[in-house]
Amino acid sequence: MTDLPQEPTPLVADERARSRLAMAWDSDVAYSFRRSPVALISTIVVLILVLSAILAPVIAPYDPFNPASLNLMNGFSKPMEPNAFTGDVFWLGTDDQGRDVFSTILYGMRVSLFVGFAAVGFAMTLGVTLGLIAGYVGGWVETIIMRVADVQLTFPAILVAMLIFGIAKGVTPVEYRDQMAIWVLILAIGLSDWVQFARVVRGATLVEKNKEYVQAARMIGRSSGAIMMRHILPNVLSPVLVIATISLALAIIAEATLSFLGVGAPPTQPSLGTLIRIGQGFLFSGEWWILFFPAVTLLALALSVNLLGDWLRDALNPRLR
Amino acid sequence: MLRRLTASAVAICAALPVMAEDFRWASTTDPQTMDPHAVNSAPVLGFLNNVYEGLVRRGRDMAVEPALATGWEAIGNGEGWRFTLRQGVKFHDGADFTAEDVLFSYERASSEEADTRSWFAPVSGVTVVDDFTVDIMTSAPNPIFPDSIANWMIMDSGWAEANDATRPDKEQGNYATLNANGTGAFKVTAREPGLRTELQPHEGWWDTVDHNITRAEFTPIQNPATAVAALLSGDIDMINPVPIQDAERLSGQPGVQVIQGIEARVIMLGFAQEADTLKYGESDGAANPFQDPAVRRAVAQAVNVPAILQTTMRGNAEAASQLVSPAMRGYSEPNAATIAYDPDAARAALAEAGYPEGFGFGLKCPNDRYLNDEAVCQAVTSMLSQVGLRPQLETMPVRGYWPRLREDDFDMYLLGWSPGTFDAEHPVRFLASTPNEEKKLGSWNFGGYSNARVDELLPMIQSEIDETKRQAMLDEVAAILQGETAYVPLYVQPLLWGARDNISLTQRPDNFFILRWVTVN
Repeated sequence: MTDLPQEPTPLVADERARSRLAMAWDSDVAYSFRRSPVALISTIVVLILVLSAILAPVIAPYDPFNPASLNLMNGFSKPMEPNAFTGDVFWLGTDDQGRDVFSTILYGMRVSLFVGFAAVGFAMTLGVTLGLIAGYVGGWVETIIMRVADVQLTFPAILVAMLIFGIAKGVTPVEYRDQMAIWVLILAIGLSDWVQFARVVRGATLVEKNKEYVQAARMIGRSSGAIMMRHILPNVLSPVLVIATISLALAIIAEATLSFLGVGAPPTQPSLGTLIRIGQGFLFSGEWWILFFPAVTLLALALSVNLLGDWLRDALNPRLR
Repeated sequence: MLRRLTASAVAICAALPVMAEDFRWASTTDPQTMDPHAVNSAPVLGFLNNVYEGLVRRGRDMAVEPALATGWEAIGNGEGWRFTLRQGVKFHDGADFTAEDVLFSYERASSEEADTRSWFAPVSGVTVVDDFTVDIMTSAPNPIFPDSIANWMIMDSGWAEANDATRPDKEQGNYATLNANGTGAFKVTAREPGLRTELQPHEGWWDTVDHNITRAEFTPIQNPATAVAALLSGDIDMINPVPIQDAERLSGQPGVQVIQGIEARVIMLGFAQEADTLKYGESDGAANPFQDPAVRRAVAQAVNVPAILQTTMRGNAEAASQLVSPAMRGYSEPNAATIAYDPDAARAALAEAGYPEGFGFGLKCPNDRYLNDEAVCQAVTSMLSQVGLRPQLETMPVRGYWPRLREDDFDMYLLGWSPGTFDAEHPVRFLASTPNEEKKLGSWNFGGYSNARVDELLPMIQSEIDETKRQAMLDEVAAILQGETAYVPLYVQPLLWGARDNISLTQRPDNFFILRWVTVN
């Protein structure tokens, strides 16, 4: 059991907690984090964006999802300039319906982040499970799982997501379509994303399953499920963490792409992608702010998550240390 | 060397389309079918006017002129019309045009499967007198009949029989949905629904050729910004419509022109009135408040039309007071006043009608049919929310929209109506008459509005020859529809086309794009 995380020596509860915190602080990963300005800045940006999305109802000056609060005469207000008819001032301007762009971005980011996290969670669960099974069980089970993965890899992820979205839209009753749209989006992105997890976990499992600690566990009669979950899984998790972070950025972009193409979040619950699609129609006529601010927000979000993922990959890779 | 070769290859490729007078145009909506009797909607009829022809057609000024008929006269005390047919006309496949084709096209276009059925409500029978003479009898004198059949297109009976398409099929489609064989100036040489449709001139066309196109290609481009970009880059020679927000900037660009006019189309809100319960109510079986004229009037008061015109339409449209625009014959001057925006009065009226807390309902809208249709519906949704109503908006492409309306799957909906006859009688027949399959009336009256006096006036309007008396009856109908708020007319839609500078064309007020008036310079 040499590769298992070290068993902590028995300590009283709060001492144990403190020592764990201290251990985390002194770990290689934390050290590399403290020394990397990119990681620090990315974390700060992600934290600000996530927090402002969570606190949107408190921060946002308007509720863009309440149609009764909109005044059409406020439409196309320029950023920081009083509207010609109503005199209202909007920080980032308004869209064609008189919706405050700043508030809409905050609410839109909630949809984008929720879809991103949920889709990655779903893809990770599915991919890790299938990868573990394929790697550990082998044989025809492995062949089937990995060939399905190979077939799916030959299609661009966005195409798979659109296909799943189309089928799901066809089978959902019309009156539930708007409520279902977000969940279908999560399903579609998750199903198009699991392959990466499965391939990496299978590879790592193939290496781990021949190691001595696994053989030892098998010898003392532990079941296959227990070996996979308790012994192999903890040792293949670090690459999974890296993929998950990078997948999060990709999932947010995939959601934006689908919504931009008009097959994602409904117009009544706009995500960042929906906002960019709406704004794109006004780009030629000079109302740049409707497109610009949601696009910059999406860029900042996806870029910082991606940079965090890159850093994490380097930090967890023993060869680059 | 290689570079020079490539350069000359590029030059040849660029020069070829110019020599061949290729013309490419784009619009938001693809005509759903090539069958001229299957769908009575402007994108279909407008497109097919280039391929098929009727007995009469409309000129550049919308006046009716001879087409497949060379002349017509009233017979039998005005209760019928004798059409003399043009001789030597060939269909695209080479077949001869005769009176049999007219009779066949009448039977086909007035059949139960046809969407154009209500055009023939006044017709009692069609008789073939000889190969080039046809009598069309009406059940009462009908002075405007020849005016009303400009979009009734003639199909070859032999071709339809040979291809098992003697009746239109708007649901499943048949041979005539994808193929066309008319007598018009252009024939369809390739058709990929939703992607592209290719037309080439019909060499055997009977009329003098006024265009110089050798090949034309239509592409539906749903995203207006994409269409503008394609026009600016020269990929497309003409787009319809130009997005309202881009009209001003586009007209200042070198190389392109914006052609602007007022369309005959009135955009309005319609209600489910026949239904006893709401389809999208907040509880199952909630009573339908739109049966009450006071509630419908409150809706009209709650919609701030001037704000829509100012912001969404950017000052490019005019408010509408009735189902037709002032440019139409029979427009009712005494009823020209619009209902003023008054949210307080709307709230008070709703409270008085028994809905102080408002109610929830479903609003259906197309999102690729009219200029800014989705944005207008979103604006209407927020305006109605401000007086306490709770509309649930659903927007969809037009190919799924009409079927939904026909299934009565709405509580309120958006509709645009352009009278094909350019006469105020047209919307009365289609939108205000009690729906009646047998009499072919009210076929687009989705909500089932019904008023006995309107039903009584319609045949009288149709057969009245005295202009003053006819106008008095049209005024009465307009007053009834306003009084009961049968519909909420919003505005008259503008016509905005964009074209390259080297294109000359004619913009007809019914928004039909007629290819035979296009010259590529």
